[in-house]
Amino acid sequence: SATRPRPRRVLVPFPHLYNRDSGGAVGNVSRALCLRRGSGAPAPSPGATVFALSSGQGRCGVAVIRASGPASGDALRILTAPRALPAARTASLRLLSDPRSGEPLDRALVLWFPGPRSFTGEDCVEFHVHGGPAVVSGVLQALGSVPGLRPAEAGEFTRRAFAHGKLNLTEVEGLADLIHAETEAQRRQALRQLDGELGQLCRSWAGTLTKALAHVEAYIDFGEDDNLEEGVLEQADVEVRELEVALGAHLRDARRGQRLRSGAHVVVTGPPNAGKSSLVNLLSRKPVSIVSPEPGTTRDVLETAVDLAGFPVLLSDTAGLREGAGPVEQEGVRRPGRGGLEQADIIVAMLDASDLASPSSRDFLDTVVATVGARSPREGGQRLVLVLNKSDLLPAEGPRPGPGLPPSLLLSCLTGDGLHGLLEALRKELAAVCGDPSTGSPLLTRERHRHHLKACLDALGHYKQSKDLALAAEALRVARGHLTCLTGGGGTEEVLDIIFRDFCVGK
Amino acid sequence: MFSVRGCGRWAAASLAKQHLRVARFCGDSAAPGTPHFDVVVIGGGHAGTEAAAAAARCGSRTLLLTHRVDTIGQMSCNPSFGGIGKGHLMREVDALDGLCSRICDQSGIHYKVLNRRKGPAVWGLRAQIDRKLYKQNMQKEILNTPLLTVQEGAVEDLILTEPEPEHPGKCRVSGVVLADGSTVNAESVILTTGTFLRGMIVIGLERHPAGRLGDQPSIGLAQTLEKLGFVVGRLKTGTPPRIAKESINFSILDKHTPDNPSLPFSFVNETVWIKPEDQLPCYLTHTNPRVDEIVLENLHLNSHVKETTRGPRYCPSIESKVLRFPNRLHQVWLEPEGMDSDLIYPQGLSMTLPAELQEKMITCIRGLEKAKMIHPGYGVQYDYLDPRQISPSLETHLVQRLFFAGQINGTTGYEEAAAQGVIAGINASLRVSRKPPFVVSRTEGYIGVLIDDLTTLGTSEPYRMFTSRVEFRLSLRPDNADSRLTFRGYKEAGCVSQQRYERASWMKSSLEEGISVLKSIEFSSSKWKSLIPEASISITRSLPVSALDVLKYEEVDMELLAKAVPDPLKKYTKCRELAARLRIEATYESAFFQQLQEIKEVQRDEALQLPRDLDYLSIKDVSLSQEVREKLHFSRPQTIGAASRIPGVTPAAIVNLLRFVKTTQQRQAAMNQLPKTDQYLYDTDKLQEREL
Repeated sequence: SATRPRPRRVLVPFPHLYNRDSGGAVGNVSRALCLRRGSGAPAPSPGATVFALSSGQGRCGVAVIRASGPASGDALRILTAPRALPAARTASLRLLSDPRSGEPLDRALVLWFPGPRSFTGEDCVEFHVHGGPAVVSGVLQALGSVPGLRPAEAGEFTRRAFAHGKLNLTEVEGLADLIHAETEAQRRQALRQLDGELGQLCRSWAGTLTKALAHVEAYIDFGEDDNLEEGVLEQADVEVRELEVALGAHLRDARRGQRLRSGAHVVVTGPPNAGKSSLVNLLSRKPVSIVSPEPGTTRDVLETAVDLAGFPVLLSDTAGLREGAGPVEQEGVRRPGRGGLEQADIIVAMLDASDLASPSSRDFLDTVVATVGARSPREGGQRLVLVLNKSDLLPAEGPRPGPGLPPSLLLSCLTGDGLHGLLEALRKELAAVCGDPSTGSPLLTRERHRHHLKACLDALGHYKQSKDLALAAEALRVARGHLTCLTGGGGTEEVLDIIFRDFCVGK
Repeated sequence: MFSVRGCGRWAAASLAKQHLRVARFCGDSAAPGTPHFDVVVIGGGHAGTEAAAAAARCGSRTLLLTHRVDTIGQMSCNPSFGGIGKGHLMREVDALDGLCSRICDQSGIHYKVLNRRKGPAVWGLRAQIDRKLYKQNMQKEILNTPLLTVQEGAVEDLILTEPEPEHPGKCRVSGVVLADGSTVNAESVILTTGTFLRGMIVIGLERHPAGRLGDQPSIGLAQTLEKLGFVVGRLKTGTPPRIAKESINFSILDKHTPDNPSLPFSFVNETVWIKPEDQLPCYLTHTNPRVDEIVLENLHLNSHVKETTRGPRYCPSIESKVLRFPNRLHQVWLEPEGMDSDLIYPQGLSMTLPAELQEKMITCIRGLEKAKMIHPGYGVQYDYLDPRQISPSLETHLVQRLFFAGQINGTTGYEEAAAQGVIAGINASLRVSRKPPFVVSRTEGYIGVLIDDLTTLGTSEPYRMFTSRVEFRLSLRPDNADSRLTFRGYKEAGCVSQQRYERASWMKSSLEEGISVLKSIEFSSSKWKSLIPEASISITRSLPVSALDVLKYEEVDMELLAKAVPDPLKKYTKCRELAARLRIEATYESAFFQQLQEIKEVQRDEALQLPRDLDYLSIKDVSLSQEVREKLHFSRPQTIGAASRIPGVTPAAIVNLLRFVKTTQQRQAAMNQLPKTDQYLYDTDKLQEREL
């Protein structure tokens, strides 16, 4: 049946992203703002304010963060407090600090463009900050904590510019393509995030919440003319309370949060004992994998965030793909095996240069290398770097090994020979991957995730407090909206389906 | 003339008046002898009566054509109006000066607001209605509506002419042909034929053609519509048997009494016609395992249940309840059919078993052991037209000036029908006077949600209103339907009386004044605590607390607040409705501001209009997949907002569409050198803010 989405903005299926007057530090800022505006209710803003990292990714001299919308002036004031707004369209140097902790973030060049004379036609702010990931991440988080601000969606700036007549038609033509590409990239990124523990968690949370909402909605729409089971509401309350505990624990758990730090995914793969773990250790400069000459030492995907040639990279080391392994090892191999490869942006395929004729090497070449190499990156395929390790074992003056192979690099993890060449090759590939505008910023993705989970938690708090059931249900709708932003789905039909499945209702 | 030619019985009640009116119009019309009306409404059910009355209120000379004048306003199924979600629709119909709420205030016999304890946003105004009174009152209203003429007759065909070139559509309707071959000319035609299109009644294994028990179905009209190329689907519904009142042992059943005082449906009424103590009770009983057995043992005798025609996912019939939720006791409400009626309507027992088995089942239910069945329940199967073929004004895409309203569009329920009727009536009339259509947005009313869901998504089961379908439920409440719709109805459609308009204006300004006064009264929380010790006011807040904030507490109402701060609050307690509405506004105030953002975003997309004559299948300069083209072609969304809600229409397609529209306009503007380039793409600044 047709899904029935809630009305949404044209480009972006993200319904409920409004400022909630939450407790704690954010609430204080919100109140401070209200006071500044004078007494009474805050004036409703005519559009949400969005922000995003507008410059490219990776380590760079200067990163530009933009905000657009009616609250951008407030955001600038809050981050640069106690200074007033700078003169319009004039670069000014300001100290940015986190509004929650007061901690200084960076000394930055800021620009204030009051609408309509701005890129989007709305009030806009630009922060030119130092380009390190920590600074960028800090400023993005600080912006996320300002009431009324939320991370921008794919193509949202362009869309706003379009809506205000600020783009010529040629520019707009690019927009649809861009959105298409971003949707694809986001889908892939969502797949990464949602594959694995976190994804399962998010999906199960969203499932719980949808069910709780369906039961509350059933109680509202059918509670009196049909016999709903006793305790429908109590059950929903219990579920919401459990969800609150789980979300709270998750947000406090920094270790899990690290899993979200998805830079470009580089996966090292190859037959057992090719030296994959040694390479990972070499690249990350710290022991991530247990290295031993025994084949099959690594039985799981180990991920580590590293900085490779200035690019944020999530490096993983798959267990060797090997025939005839023991049951325990097979399990370890199967689980992450191809799944790990599918999520990779760059695959480093590694073989033992001295062992190219072995069945495991040949099998690996036939299956993985041939398959991945068959599709070019332009066609949406992954990038492949073929590395022949253990060059130290080759005869010094001998011919180059593997004459029939695709272009490959020689390396010795033991001596470090060829490492420079490999890094250079990876840098090129990473530049191609990260320079691609269709790849979402990992920092933003992480910020978005945190934003939605926190907003979900806030909304669940409102649910508990509301005595009016319509208000309580609205809080659940908002909470669910935030979770389904991360997992997809979320239409009204889904709720109605659960109602009609779980309850015998009708006239 | 008309009656001399014998083309139908005139409504006796206003015979002389009708004659005069027709005589005058015959003089106006081009073909001598053929009557001519601005709007012709076919069908006198809940959609038809509202449509005809609305068109007449808008100033159109209107003709209501019905099989039988004495069935106008007939409640074919349940003897009740309103409920959760449906009550919201009735308030909105009333805000547009529609009929059903006012008639219900004159015809109810048991008024009860559902969901009283769940928050005023989801209150469900509901009443048991005396069928006979309702019909009488409705007929009186219809037969005395200025500009409205009623005639009996079965419409067999539509008269079609060349389309107006400035509108999309392959032809234009210009009148109707009746069964006796006579014709009536019309500027606009509204079809509200309910379940009568190829209607088929089913009891057990028997089936016979009928729109309703005892009434002929419309077959010619169904064929005409199919020939025109309308996509037709089939739905089913049902109604329970009726039981003799004196044969029921009420003494052993749960008695349910009405509200005291009764809350009227209409904004213009302060009370209903009948005192609470004179109203009739309802009784509750339950099914038992024996009922399940009878259903399960006799499935082979029950063709309505077995058939594949789509019924709803919810369970209207006892058979579907038993099949989907076995081993459970299901509620059966015993509802009076009228003040002096001998019949009881067993709500929850809708069924299509053979008649003798229905009686057998009834008698195994507690309290009904000796019950006498007066007539059996039955199922109805009928054609409906895929509502994606109509625009939000309810005009069809295919035939200009032809409007559909009510069950013909796949909905179920009197209230859903009435809501569409009002909108179709208004728009049929506006179309004649060449004014822009009157469309209610999803952000403005349940009517908007209903029509937007139907026209953009279609439906494959009888569509029923639920509050959970409504995104902005906290703003679209029964209490404020007037401030949402009455002013628009008055200014844009002319369907609202001066009296109602003034009343709504007074209420709006009083509310605004009241809210600003409440906001201006600020004390410390501890002072409030001492002023109103009954309320559990939290004293942890250091900021001053306004009277509006205090009013949000469950225990506080305007009376209590006015006792604490008599000056200036006392005067706001004098009007009971005003005091109650101020309190509701306070409850939802902050939630409204939180939703405002989202409301504006929806409104912005709804303001981006697509050209109505865009040929999605053939336009070349725009990159759209074939699938998206077909979907857009079929639904013909009128705004970017509606297009984006159609499943399968991607964000990228939306941007391409916007670009195409804008390019085309610029090209046209350059060619015509017209200054108005923004005919379809309104600026977001034009969006008006709703004050309350």
